Amino acid sequence: MSEFATTVERLCEASKRDYMNPYSSLEWPETLDPEQWFTSPELISLYGSEAYDRLREPVRKRLSFYEAVNFFSLNIHGEKALVEGLARRLYARGPGGSESEEVTGYLHHFLDEENKHMIYFGRFCTKYAGKIYPDKKMAFPREYEEGEEDFLFFAKIMIFEEISDAFNVRMARDDRLVPLARRINLLHHRDEARHLVFGRRMVKELFTRHSEKWSGRTLEGVREYVGNYLKATWREYYNPEVYKDAGLDSPYETYSAALDEPGGRERRRRISEPCVRYLLENEILIEEPLL
Amino acid sequence: MKTEAEIKHALREWIAGTSGKIDARNLSDETPIVEQRIISSLQVMDLILFLERLSNRPIEIDRLKPGVFRDINSIYSGFFHSGSKT
Repeated sequence: MSEFATTVERLCEASKRDYMNPYSSLEWPETLDPEQWFTSPELISLYGSEAYDRLREPVRKRLSFYEAVNFFSLNIHGEKALVEGLARRLYARGPGGSESEEVTGYLHHFLDEENKHMIYFGRFCTKYAGKIYPDKKMAFPREYEEGEEDFLFFAKIMIFEEISDAFNVRMARDDRLVPLARRINLLHHRDEARHLVFGRRMVKELFTRHSEKWSGRTLEGVREYVGNYLKATWREYYNPEVYKDAGLDSPYETYSAALDEPGGRERRRRISEPCVRYLLENEILIEEPLL
Repeated sequence: MKTEAEIKHALREWIAGTSGKIDARNLSDETPIVEQRIISSLQVMDLILFLERLSNRPIEIDRLKPGVFRDINSIYSGFFHSGSKT
């Protein structure tokens, strides 16, 4: 059995052992006072900016509530795309199919767990904010070389989940947060820890298998796309609608200014560092993207 | 309220500045910005936020029609002209 197959088998066993019921694992208060911490202050998109420094604590807490709604919303959108892509690959033959019995077995767990995450993310957003922030990402149809589309699909999952998990890990242990917000972050991290292992192995496997056959132009395009995807993923953490809902003035100007803040750049670089290092080590990226 | 010329000028400057692949002077109202990969699908997310700011109203992605980002003329008629597609 290959090293990859052994890892996948181990992940399947862990998923069976940690099988979770999303309906009984969380307690949902009827209402929540939005002037509490729902996002760790240091992870709020505006943290460290002049705009943030001007806010009084109750407004910062209200902002932390809408930032949590945005974080959960973008997880829902990411997981919806993930579920669609995984379902298409399940039992599919040929390029892009799940191919081996081990991978198929794990895709079942992956799909199950992602669906459960959307249940609690969606419930939080609709119950307490009355909405899910809309997805602003679009995909245009295009031609791919062999293996390119699969590689990009799994690379996007990996990037999206690595950044999201860094937030989960920090917030799951932050006792300033309301218990429900902490618990959601903890539950998500428990499953994501396995998905991240799978994601890294899958990305490396697909890149090694296909990249040597790609033309120089395709390889360059893939690298450019991966770097831009990292930047685009971070952009979603900054949402003018969040700033508007929290009662801040000039939400679009706040958005643009926050993206240019040196403190924010450094935070994005630091949080992405393990993921970027992995991409560089495996020559998927050849230079660190400016986040 | 901005005029058509002002809006198209703002779009041209934003697209050229974001893309870095073309000079604003070489970008006509008919240049296919997606087909020629002047703007990537990932940069469209930023373009949508820019359009929301310029038009001062939210954009519902699910209701957008294919080709709405084809060129500056399409963007103008899709988001700013009366009978807009959003």
